[in-house]
Amino acid sequence: MSVMNTSASGMLADTQWLSTISQNIANSNTTGYKNVETDFTALVDEIASPNDPGMGVTTSMQTLNALQGSVVSTSTSTDLAVQGTGFFVVSDSSGDIYLTRNGSFTPNASGDLVNSAGYYLMGYSVASGATAPTNESLSSLQKVNVNAAGESATPTSSGSLVANLPSTAVPVAAAKLPSVNSASSVYTDQTSVVTYDNLGQAHTLDIYFTNTGSNTWEVDVFDHADAAAGGSFPYSAGPLATENLTFSATNGTLTSGSPITVAIPNGQKMSLDLSNMTQVASAFNVSQASANGNPPASLTGVTFSANGALSYQYSDGTSQIGYQVPLGNVPSPNNLTSLDGGCLSPNSESGAISLGNPGNDGLGSLVPSALESSTVDLATELTEMIQAQSAYEANSKAFQTGANLYDVLNQLHP
Amino acid sequence: MNLTDAFNIIGSAFATNAAQSAVIAQNVANAGTQGYSREVTNLVADPSGGVDVESVTRVANNALTEQMLSANSLSSSQQALASGLATLAQTVSDSTSASSTSGATANGDSPSAMLENLQNALQTYEASPSDTNLAQAVVTAAGNLTASLNNASATVQQVRSQADADISSTVNTINSLLNQFQSLNTQVVSGLKTGANVGSVEDQRDSILNQLSQQIGITTVNNPDGSMSIYTDSGVTLFQGNARSLSFTPTPNLTAGATGSAVTVDGVAITGANAPMAIESGALAGLAQLRDTVAPEYQAQLDQIAGGLIQTFSESDQSANPTQPNLPGLFTFPGATGVPSLANATGLSSVIEVNPNVDPTQGGNLNLLRDGGISDPGSPIYTYNKTGAAGYTGRIQQLINGLSATLSFDPTAGLPASQSLSSYANASVSWLQGQNQQATNQADYQNTLASQASSALSNATGVNLDTELTNMLTIENSYTTTAKLLTTATDMFSALLDAV
Repeated sequence: MSVMNTSASGMLADTQWLSTISQNIANSNTTGYKNVETDFTALVDEIASPNDPGMGVTTSMQTLNALQGSVVSTSTSTDLAVQGTGFFVVSDSSGDIYLTRNGSFTPNASGDLVNSAGYYLMGYSVASGATAPTNESLSSLQKVNVNAAGESATPTSSGSLVANLPSTAVPVAAAKLPSVNSASSVYTDQTSVVTYDNLGQAHTLDIYFTNTGSNTWEVDVFDHADAAAGGSFPYSAGPLATENLTFSATNGTLTSGSPITVAIPNGQKMSLDLSNMTQVASAFNVSQASANGNPPASLTGVTFSANGALSYQYSDGTSQIGYQVPLGNVPSPNNLTSLDGGCLSPNSESGAISLGNPGNDGLGSLVPSALESSTVDLATELTEMIQAQSAYEANSKAFQTGANLYDVLNQLHP
Repeated sequence: MNLTDAFNIIGSAFATNAAQSAVIAQNVANAGTQGYSREVTNLVADPSGGVDVESVTRVANNALTEQMLSANSLSSSQQALASGLATLAQTVSDSTSASSTSGATANGDSPSAMLENLQNALQTYEASPSDTNLAQAVVTAAGNLTASLNNASATVQQVRSQADADISSTVNTINSLLNQFQSLNTQVVSGLKTGANVGSVEDQRDSILNQLSQQIGITTVNNPDGSMSIYTDSGVTLFQGNARSLSFTPTPNLTAGATGSAVTVDGVAITGANAPMAIESGALAGLAQLRDTVAPEYQAQLDQIAGGLIQTFSESDQSANPTQPNLPGLFTFPGATGVPSLANATGLSSVIEVNPNVDPTQGGNLNLLRDGGISDPGSPIYTYNKTGAAGYTGRIQQLINGLSATLSFDPTAGLPASQSLSSYANASVSWLQGQNQQATNQADYQNTLASQASSALSNATGVNLDTELTNMLTIENSYTTTAKLLTTATDMFSALLDAV
């Protein structure tokens, strides 16, 4: 009797195998799809005697979630792929958290990043100017939104100025120094740097260098807005900073006076680094003058970096990090419950989700402007299909033979 | 790695080949475009084994660019100066034949030539002092001389006023270029951040720099974020973060001795004698030099000639015990109350005239030329010919000697101070021609340097058609091979499908 049951179970198992093969082939171009493997397990009747041949075969399916698919470049900056073991953390519209490798995110009408299956990308909002958070918890995740930042300004907090001061300059009398701030003030050289206050208002700082003696200079910083008509002395307010610089007589490098602290009107205290200034017998020549900060600017786009930071690009060319996108993983990824749209739900067998930042927590890195292709290999699937077909035929032969035996048995009866 | 991966890799190879061909096509199409820098495709292997275009970058050479900008600036400053001097040199129209001889010819109309004509007329008159026709010839020659001085002075003022107006328009051009630069600079910075191809924007930005360098001498600083800062050749900030603004107040009519206002950047004067950080090159520097140095110097020389004439032809008290001051004689100027000293001659060349008392067309008496008393007709004080003799030549003789007597000119006019009036007038013509010649030579020389710098830059960053064609063949081969791979992979799949 058992021969027919056994071969019937074999045929059933082969049908299961074929259906997973067709599932794989159907999804051979689905972004982030992981191929499903069919496992066969022998069934044994434990009550029967040890010589019993057994009860047939059963199948179980396993999705190979830990496999890495090929990362293929696209031209959409919000398309993401994971190169490594981690998963994107996404949520559905009701806020339940899932994992997925489907990274074809595009902004919806309200600016939230949604993948092709309709799940929202989750990340940490990074406050203006702050660095990415290191304490990861699922509860602090929120939907990543590309519109959120609006107009943004960053006040200047540091700057640097590298220039050569002519060692051949003629010293200026103490009563005429720019620090005196009178109409008769004279200076040796002048330059200016644009800085931004707390509200992003630009302040041009006029920086005067005045030779006061052998290898000594006075540096004075004024707010250009305070300048007298025509743009020079006397300023309506005294210098924002005054400092004496001393240069080495042996090699012309700066020996004291750097950095200087400049209190920007309505803004932060800027530390202006002058440490690379020189004083040699050459003309005044600025080789670097820069300050951080940016004026209010509108959003022109977003970019992702390999470590998961989403940066807002502003119209003035500056950028600012808006979100940190973490990756998630579970102890047993292959046991995650598969849902529609390549979405994976954690369960008791897979273990709970742990989060980490791409690039430094062993979860792999983020590849922007790329998608992970399906792990299905058509050649393998087609080969397995032939194997499944052969196995089915063999099982049906066994069944036929069993049926024939019954026919012979039945004919023994008159 | 599987057959599907092979298809992905083949796809990426096709895409890359297409992108490379597009860049080569762009390079070839722009082979003749002025200021175009060739672009290069940078490829990178992607994680799945395929290939990606990482970026398209523009070939640049900062050192050669700086050199070209500086050569441009020097060339245009000399050109601005040379064109102004060419206008000034027209006041000495005897310039072509003058350079070989004394600096003045009989038919020229420079003050020097006119002075020589006057001298000749006086000498003829001395031979027959009773001939009023010869006296008339002297007055006519004197009138030509004053007209020549008046014209030259008017030309100087016109050149200076024109230079002042040109400075004003140059300042507007620079401000407008700096504002254009700001918008292009922002596009470059944000383009680089978002990975866009900014090659053409960088070309435009360089083109702005090129135009800017013709107006004003500049140096540039490249910042790490792709932005650029611009400083004048004297170190004043023109662009850092945002454009600084140049300001200038034009002076509608620049008279002799008046100085035009200085061009300032954020209150720092960059032109003028007292500018702490004066620019050295660019059209602005050339115009400023013309307006503030060269033209005023020529003006001062004309004024010295006019002052010298008034002084030489002045009349002194002829009483036994002279008590009265000298007064202007043949040459005077409206409102004259005495003879101005040579150190105080500013503006005389524009107002010098022949005394109406000696000009018959204005009711004057020609014989006063022989007898003296032009300054005060009828009064015995300034009359040299006490007897009224028709053959009196004492005064004429004195005037002829006066023209070759050594005078003490104001040394600030740029010519040797102790010399005769006629040699001073000659020296002034030579000085102007020398300046003109030097500026023209310098302009030619700097222009040659600028075109050499430009072609050196073009050789380094321009398009070489041979290289582009070679690259195109390489890409074509790669494309053919990739197509072959695709056929092979397809055949393999077909074989597999046939087996099922």
